[in-house]
Amino acid sequence: MKSRHLLLAVAAALFMIAVSLLVGRFEAYMIGAVAVASIGALALNLLIGACGQISLAQGALLGVGAYAAGNFGNAGWDLLALPAAGVTAALTSVLIGLPALRLRGLYFAIASLAAQTILEYLFKTVEPLTKGISGLVIKPMTLLGTPLVTDQAYAALSVVTLLITWLFMVWVMRTNLGRAFLVVRESEIVARGMGIDVARTKLWAFVASGFFVGIAGALMGFTTRLANPEAFGLPLSVDYVAMIIVGGIGSWGGSIIGAAFVVLLPELIQRLGEFLNVPNVLSAMRELAFGLLIILFLIFEPRGLAALLRRLRPVAIATAAALLGRKQSWKPQSASRRRV
Amino acid sequence: MTYALQLAVAGIAVGSVYALIALGIVLIYKCSGVVNFAQGAYAMVGAYVTYFLITIGLSPVIGVLVSMGIMAGLGALTERAILRPMLKAPVVAVMMVTLGLLIVSQAICLAIWGPDQIAFPALFPSGSVEIAGIFMTYNYVATGLLSALLSLGFLAFYRYTSIGLAQRCAADNSRAALAIGIHVSNQVSLAWAMSATLAGLGGTLLATLNGLSLGLADIGLVAFPVIVLGGLSSLGGAFIAGLVLGVLQSFTDGWLTPILEDFLRAHTSIYSVGALQQVVPYALLVLMLLVRPEGLFGRRGTERV
Amino acid sequence: MSLTARGVTIHFGGLVAVDGMDLDAIPPEIIGLIGPNGAGKTTFLNCLSGIYRPTNGSVLWNGEELVGQAPHVLLARGIARTFQNITSLHDLSVLDVVKLGSNMRGDVDFADRLRNLFRSEKALDEELTEMFLKPLRLADVAHQPIQTLSYGHRKAVDLARALAAHPLLLLLDEPVAGLTSQEGMAMAAVIRTVRDHFGCAVVMVEHKMDVVMDTCERIVVMAAGAKIFAGSPSEVQSSAEVRRVYLGEPS
Repeated sequence: MKSRHLLLAVAAALFMIAVSLLVGRFEAYMIGAVAVASIGALALNLLIGACGQISLAQGALLGVGAYAAGNFGNAGWDLLALPAAGVTAALTSVLIGLPALRLRGLYFAIASLAAQTILEYLFKTVEPLTKGISGLVIKPMTLLGTPLVTDQAYAALSVVTLLITWLFMVWVMRTNLGRAFLVVRESEIVARGMGIDVARTKLWAFVASGFFVGIAGALMGFTTRLANPEAFGLPLSVDYVAMIIVGGIGSWGGSIIGAAFVVLLPELIQRLGEFLNVPNVLSAMRELAFGLLIILFLIFEPRGLAALLRRLRPVAIATAAALLGRKQSWKPQSASRRRV
Repeated sequence: MTYALQLAVAGIAVGSVYALIALGIVLIYKCSGVVNFAQGAYAMVGAYVTYFLITIGLSPVIGVLVSMGIMAGLGALTERAILRPMLKAPVVAVMMVTLGLLIVSQAICLAIWGPDQIAFPALFPSGSVEIAGIFMTYNYVATGLLSALLSLGFLAFYRYTSIGLAQRCAADNSRAALAIGIHVSNQVSLAWAMSATLAGLGGTLLATLNGLSLGLADIGLVAFPVIVLGGLSSLGGAFIAGLVLGVLQSFTDGWLTPILEDFLRAHTSIYSVGALQQVVPYALLVLMLLVRPEGLFGRRGTERV
Repeated sequence: MSLTARGVTIHFGGLVAVDGMDLDAIPPEIIGLIGPNGAGKTTFLNCLSGIYRPTNGSVLWNGEELVGQAPHVLLARGIARTFQNITSLHDLSVLDVVKLGSNMRGDVDFADRLRNLFRSEKALDEELTEMFLKPLRLADVAHQPIQTLSYGHRKAVDLARALAAHPLLLLLDEPVAGLTSQEGMAMAAVIRTVRDHFGCAVVMVEHKMDVVMDTCERIVVMAAGAKIFAGSPSEVQSSAEVRRVYLGEPS
């Protein structure tokens, strides 16, 4: 991770913040939605990158974040509601992972499915905290006393949080914990043999991933002003898995691309449907597209869009150069770097 | 006492269907090492296909039989078209592909038949029967009996026939099986075909009880507590665990929930425990993972470094 | 500082892979563990390094029982091991892998840790390269991903990783397997240098007789899970018992 990339990321974030504050409600809402989804996707990527197994509990964990933020926010915790929601979700995440901690990764997927179901049930039943099926009304978040009410404000806040999340992810992978993550994902046996404390490494993955998922959920809750069980079901978990697969497991940039893709695709299909005048088949189309994408990407390009784009970069650059009429005698960077 | 028996019998009927679905998952796990998240989709598709065949004029019996054939074909097709190219891929990826299949199937059924519940044509005579003070509709009786018979029949097939033996060999050690002349890839396709057929039948039977809708696929998810309870690689365990969970759900719904709700209403502001019986299997799953992850009938495996 | 293994036994279902093995190792000796295929050498090594839990027996290291402890605990106590199969670990570079090892050292006190926090990444890299990569001739590939290295180089990296943990006991699992005889001799020389330099004890499981005879001071012979002979290289070479086990000659 060169400092050049870091500067680029910060610049991009600042640019997006400016954009969010200037555009209309709908565009701001979209930007916010993509940013929030990206945070969740990065968190899930960290988990998969560390444990090598899918979690189907994303939806419920986002819900935990939303409900927690709602309760903390309504109680007047101001900006602290966000990290508080993160901590709540982190603790939940550890609880989910504990039963399968010393078992093969396959059991973790099943345990996460159980957790998703149990949490959904709790959302509907523990009415004092969640107000059950009718949902929890969430008051706007206050930032040092001033309530944030506009979509633009939340979009900007989401982009800032995304930047912080991204920086954290990049930093973690450079630490020894990050290296341990990679080895554990490759093979738990090799990791254990090398002397890595596999259980502790996984626990840290649950904590870190859960924390950021919680914050994403909190932002979701504040933006929509409502948290209800329907919104945090298994389909949402699957959406996030799709984001990671389409974007590419193990690629941070890919997670953001995947998130943008999954969030914006329904909008695209909607517009297409209105354009072609076939509104009814729409929801089926979206699901069909997702399912097919997941399958096709996993079979043909398991490293996702990120890898695909990287492969297409020399082609794209050459095409651009040709279109601009410039002579191209320079070898694409990626190819030479790979020949180390 | 009769009430308890009533609950137990109803539980066994539903549990047999769970067992049928779970058997398919265990079968696939044993030979492909993959947990098939799309098993519920097979159940759902099987039901829709049977429905379709009956509505175009086939008699129920023929319809079910043809649908079985179609499901077998679908299972084998899935294995060849999607699992084969991914033989070298990590198991995670394959499991996610099955997840994708689940989504695609639901989308296709949604597109063709819409999101609403459809009344499933009656396969069994309506009315109920009373035995020893217990009331059961013919539907329930037939579903329970058929599922149980099919499951046991399958277990017998797996254990006592030569094809079953070939299946077991291929599942246990594919290289050794190849060495002694068993066509392993055919056996794997066969396993997928059988799983899909069993699931399709289970789905059809379930549809006679609860109607036809996309929600049928959810049974694939309930199958997971079943296989963890029974043991991921134990077919017999899946059967017994299915029955146990069916009974557990039945008792939760009919006995535990009222008691719990009375208690909660008296002492807290919580009014209802909602669909507790749907959550109980998962709570049991978590408990099993903590206490005995290999399930009641599974074996602890060791891995070589 | 000594390793005392007594009566180590491990069953896998009905199979007795290691049957009442004894072993002593005192730094700085180099001990070779040899035997025909399937004798249980690697399995025994796995019992010593915490990967398997023996069914019976005890492994004492400085009087403390090691049986049942996880490898990371053993590493903190100064026992490191290498592996036969070096999987490619994504795009981790040679230095990354060595750092994984050095981060597991058991002999770093709090003051050292504090000091390390303030040193730059570059300074740490240079120190690690100097201490562990140079002797193994890996200094010029320090930043390369291990995926791109040859098998021989990868084994060297694995050894560097184990060394970076400052072990007092080094368990080597077939260190020259898969290497050409030239590379093998080089590796053997490295092992001797390492022992001379760090003063650790080395227990190495190996098949290549020339390397074993040349490098080890004491040799233990295993067959069918048990120790059948122990002695100096010349004693082993002249033992009829050992010949019978390897070549099937009548005793």
